Amino acid sequence: MPILRYIGRRVLFVIPQLFGIILVSFFLVKLIPGDPAVMMLGPTASTQSIAELRDKLGLSKPLITQFGRYLHDVARGDLGTSWQTTRPVTEDLFQRFPATLELITLGLLVALAIGFPLGVAAARRRRGPIRKFADYYGLLAGALPDFWLALVLIYVFYTALGWIPAPLGRIDMAVVPPPTVTGSLVIDSLIAGNLAALASSLGHLLLPVLTLGLINAGPILKMTQSTVERTLSSDFIRYAEMCGLPRRVVLRQAVRAALPSVLTIVSVLYGFLIGGAVLVEIVFSWGGAGQYAVQGVLNADVNPVLGFVVFSAVLSLVIYLVVDLLYFALDPRMRG
Amino acid sequence: MSTAVASRGPAGVGAADPAGSRWLRRLRFFAAVLRQRPTFAIGYAIVAVVIVTALLAPWIVPYGPMVADPTVYLLPPGRGHLLGTDGTGMDILSRVLYAPRVDLAIAGIGTLVSASIGSCIGAIVGYYEGQRSWRRAVSASVMRSADVLQAFPVFVFAIALVAVFGQSVRSIVVAIAFVNAPIYLRLMRTQVLSIRRLRYVEAAYVAGASDLSILARHVIPNAMAPVLAQLSVNIGWAVLLTAGLSFVGAGVVAPTPEWGSMIAMGFQNVVTGQWWPSVFPGIALGVTVFGFALVGASVEVLADPVRRRILSGSLG
Repeated sequence: MPILRYIGRRVLFVIPQLFGIILVSFFLVKLIPGDPAVMMLGPTASTQSIAELRDKLGLSKPLITQFGRYLHDVARGDLGTSWQTTRPVTEDLFQRFPATLELITLGLLVALAIGFPLGVAAARRRRGPIRKFADYYGLLAGALPDFWLALVLIYVFYTALGWIPAPLGRIDMAVVPPPTVTGSLVIDSLIAGNLAALASSLGHLLLPVLTLGLINAGPILKMTQSTVERTLSSDFIRYAEMCGLPRRVVLRQAVRAALPSVLTIVSVLYGFLIGGAVLVEIVFSWGGAGQYAVQGVLNADVNPVLGFVVFSAVLSLVIYLVVDLLYFALDPRMRG
Repeated sequence: MSTAVASRGPAGVGAADPAGSRWLRRLRFFAAVLRQRPTFAIGYAIVAVVIVTALLAPWIVPYGPMVADPTVYLLPPGRGHLLGTDGTGMDILSRVLYAPRVDLAIAGIGTLVSASIGSCIGAIVGYYEGQRSWRRAVSASVMRSADVLQAFPVFVFAIALVAVFGQSVRSIVVAIAFVNAPIYLRLMRTQVLSIRRLRYVEAAYVAGASDLSILARHVIPNAMAPVLAQLSVNIGWAVLLTAGLSFVGAGVVAPTPEWGSMIAMGFQNVVTGQWWPSVFPGIALGVTVFGFALVGASVEVLADPVRRRILSGSLG
């Protein structure tokens, strides 16, 4: 099976890369000034108790020993504890990653729904209003900061129109959240049959998802447009046209041939958004994984940052693997 | 158009001053391109206006950009304060006009540093790649390090860098340079890989030129086009990244006028209905990035000989 060998090679490549990422981020975060022991005990702590805590945390050992110990722990699935939340980082991340994933998955679906049809429509003709609109949309989506767009949407839909709930968190305070099964509030509410929770979580998802969708539709639009355009001028399409196939059928073939590259850009965006959606998360107090990591960096809390980096690296790996499998399904040449 | 210009050249200024005619011809071609593609002209106009604003800010702002007047906090846009005032009573127009000084300086320097470091390393890596020597191992390890750097979540990485070097403008520049360098490294490497096997490079080698002078005189100048196109786009990104860093509180510190921190300061006001402290700096930021993206797009077309020919063909 060529596909299994391919996946195996992929995974093999990732191990040294993961090691490199952990190495760089460990020393980077360790370089951040600020002593966790002092921060944990507060400014009034005695020097003796600080020294004791430093010993207990292993902070007085040389960095390389600390790194070795960290790697050892990671290999056993232990990412340490965060001194801010005083909980194991793995637990924190398992709670926060689903929030981020729910957000960016839906956001990218909206982006696809906007960008893909628009890209195909713009690729069909080189002039005209649709093409102009698509050109400007692509440039504008790349130019606007997502956190600003989020604020504007909050102003319009919450402050001025009052159509959506207050942009605080993933669900109304008054609504009892459904028992956690998958971590996604929408899916969990559906499983529990809790309609109030479902409505509330969907209401809270609306604006952040729209923000991410509008911004990320830009790159998807550009990629779709340029690939479909290139395919439309390729030999096999010209042959199809020459055979007198109806235009609709020809276009469908061109779009079909452009799917792998659209998939590529979606996977790249997905990997980027795991950490890149953090500004939108902050605006909506989403409590997602990116926000957790940023808090960690700002407070010299090493373990959450490293945990986040490890988690997102593994997650990107999974995404790229899924994408590879989809390539095999979409592109007949890869099966050959 | 281009043929017309070419025939006019020698007859006019060209005969007396060939260098002057070349520049004049280039300028005419450029003007013709802008007439043909008015969007590009918009891009250049935006960039020019933003740069001029940054330079002249102290003389054109109506109020001090960091002077808070508590008696006039959160005034809506109107007379006196054209874009209103923010929660501490600072004039928003003055701050919006002052902001490009900080934003463009950070983004410009950060991008230039990353481009020069990234493309130098990229050129060397590309030039030596595939040779049977220790240099090959060095090239491979540089590329794998770039992989590792690019696998990082950009934003978290940038915040961590700022945290390490302390919160200052210099740290933000370092963070931007670090995050963007792998892009140039890759661009330059792929370019050099295709150029180094060309005849003129081999000719220079046969003529006895050293590796360094081949790189500096023959390879790098011919590989610069995509790097230049990337430069303008990247300044736009860097402005966005700077604003994002300031927004989370890891960038430019509050009273300094900077678009991202202004948006952050107005955050709470937006929810209660005062939209102007956040919306105006965001528009200024978006327009600026938009302008740089357009300039980047035009450089991409002008630097690509094939697309340039298509364009000059359609000019006639």
